[in-house]
Amino acid sequence: MELTLAQVSKTFEQNAAVDAVSYTMRNGVYGLLGVNGAGKTTLMRMICTLMKPTSGVITWNGRDIWKLDAEYRRVLGYLPQEFGFYPDFTAEEYLLYIASIKGLRPAAARQRVDELLHTVGMERVRKKKMKKFSGGMKRRIGIAQAMLNDPEILVLDEPTVGLDPNERIRFRNLISELSSRRLVLLSTHIVSDVESIANDILLMKDGRIVRSGTPRQLVAGMPVRVWRCRVPKQEEAAYAKRYRIANIKMTAAGTELRILSEQPPCAQAVQEDVTLEDVFLYHFGETGGERNAVL
Amino acid sequence: MLYYEIKKVFSRTINRAVLVVLAVVLAAATVMALRLTYWVNDAGESEYGIGAIQKMAEAQHAWAGPLTEERIAEVLEENARINRSPQAQSEDIQQNDIAYGWGQGIAGIRDLINCSFSPFYQYDYYAADALTAADAADFYGNRMVRLEEWLSTKTFSDAEEQYLAEKYNELETPLNYDYVGSWDGFFQGVVTVQMFLAMLLGFLVSGIFSGEIQTKADAVFFAAQHGRGKAIRAKLLAGFCIVSVLYWVVFLVYTVLVLGWTGFMGADCMLQVLEWRSFYNITIGQEYWLVAFGGYLGCLFLSSLAMLVSAKTHSTVLAALVSFVAVFIPSFLANQIDRPLMDKIVGLLPDQLLQLHFLTSRFKLYSVGGTVVGSAILLFVLYTALTLLLQPALYASFRRQEVR
Repeated sequence: MELTLAQVSKTFEQNAAVDAVSYTMRNGVYGLLGVNGAGKTTLMRMICTLMKPTSGVITWNGRDIWKLDAEYRRVLGYLPQEFGFYPDFTAEEYLLYIASIKGLRPAAARQRVDELLHTVGMERVRKKKMKKFSGGMKRRIGIAQAMLNDPEILVLDEPTVGLDPNERIRFRNLISELSSRRLVLLSTHIVSDVESIANDILLMKDGRIVRSGTPRQLVAGMPVRVWRCRVPKQEEAAYAKRYRIANIKMTAAGTELRILSEQPPCAQAVQEDVTLEDVFLYHFGETGGERNAVL
Repeated sequence: MLYYEIKKVFSRTINRAVLVVLAVVLAAATVMALRLTYWVNDAGESEYGIGAIQKMAEAQHAWAGPLTEERIAEVLEENARINRSPQAQSEDIQQNDIAYGWGQGIAGIRDLINCSFSPFYQYDYYAADALTAADAADFYGNRMVRLEEWLSTKTFSDAEEQYLAEKYNELETPLNYDYVGSWDGFFQGVVTVQMFLAMLLGFLVSGIFSGEIQTKADAVFFAAQHGRGKAIRAKLLAGFCIVSVLYWVVFLVYTVLVLGWTGFMGADCMLQVLEWRSFYNITIGQEYWLVAFGGYLGCLFLSSLAMLVSAKTHSTVLAALVSFVAVFIPSFLANQIDRPLMDKIVGLLPDQLLQLHFLTSRFKLYSVGGTVVGSAILLFVLYTALTLLLQPALYASFRRQEVR
């Protein structure tokens, strides 16, 4: 079971959304981490046969996924970032319809829909129209549809967008449960979404995979160190100009900064352990990720 | 898959409203068709409704049979007898109406006599009143004489003139006559029914493809095993089923409501009993099926075209407009531009399939590979081919879609 990307590129009007990406994935959870516009969605859409690469090839067990066609999509489950649905369908009708286009026979589909509605905790609202669902409920139905065919490849594009913190944790746990015996590729721009569940993380920037490895490898490979400095409030701006600031914490004694730097940025600087968020900040700059995720 | 595709269409409130509009159109067209016939009773008062239709049918059915010269002479004598009556001669309109009522049984044949003895493409209501029984001998001969007179003023090619003359000569006489008034009402109203059907069915199917994109459900759809195969075929089939079922239900209900009261009387009469000048030598029953299948083909073609626009542009609004434009623009063009070439082009547009009954009473001819054919036949061949070609084009177009 092997999904291989070989020099995969996608260009839109001379702009490379994905630029010569090569990578091989096997069983396990892969976190695709990058800021908005990094090319994560385009890459995932190509993996899901929603877009054809401008160049390069994607293979599943050595065969081109576009040539495999329906045979490839039989083992694929996909939750898009913008999860569209049919507003006047109930949750049950929606899942039964998706089951039918995924090739499940009616009896098997009914059984599978029952199981998944139970798994995602939506049994009680199965007869409710989807247009009345909250964002979290829609996402749960989204993951259920992706799992209908018990896919070997599960692609989840920004699955936690719009979820509140509790729903986000529940969702992460659910993905973790589903990740055994399959390849899960999960894209996000929120570090905490993948930190605890991903076996491998791919950092994507400007259409390229700039770093990859386990969370531990990424942390170990960080070329700069992390420091904690307490500075007067009025000097905060000067530090922000000179260094990458991972966190700013206001205290009674002044401002406590978490700084990424090779050398100690101030005399009383205390070295701290590097986290995945620091790695993310190092590669993507201060604009990377949601502010809450960095703080 | 098919069930859910159809469910998607009818889960939209606006599409359910379309069904209500269809029902209203059906009711209005039925009333319109039934109101065309009225019966003038012995007191000279007009009666409308089913009872009036049945009385008219009974009165004219009494004159059913071969329309021989003897029968024409008999009708002319009866007409003259009524015209000589004090009631017909009276200055009192009420008395005139009573006399008119006596002539209702022969009114159908009297209309044919008027057609035969009027100049081509004109109708002199009083033509029969100026005739005697001796003129009956010219009843059928006039048809060819009037055609030749008319052709001499037109620009038909020799082949076309010969074709029309052959068709006229091929008509077997004497014609068999029966009451065909209900058919007249039916054909007048059916154009309205078919035009609304084409527009509303096109509207119903316009979201089948674009709906996936507009709801952003396309990503899940195309990533599914059958998303680029069976699921698209299910969409095509859903469009076909919606158009077919609704078309035939509405058409057959309209048929029963308008024709059921007279038991489809006159179906085996030649079309010329209804449309004297027509060169299509078919029975009224055959004309019914021609109109039925012509309308069906028109609806299928326009719906397929709407679905193709829906798949290509991702716009339900544009797709829904296709049928409306196709139905209205040609009529507008035909009224605005009076050029033979434009007339030929407009005559082949799909809206013509929705008014086949009118076409069979007109002289629209086309030469294909040296063979002259009536436009009704050519339209069937052309749009059957185009409708069949649209299906793989539509399938391939949607199958190749990328999700951006």
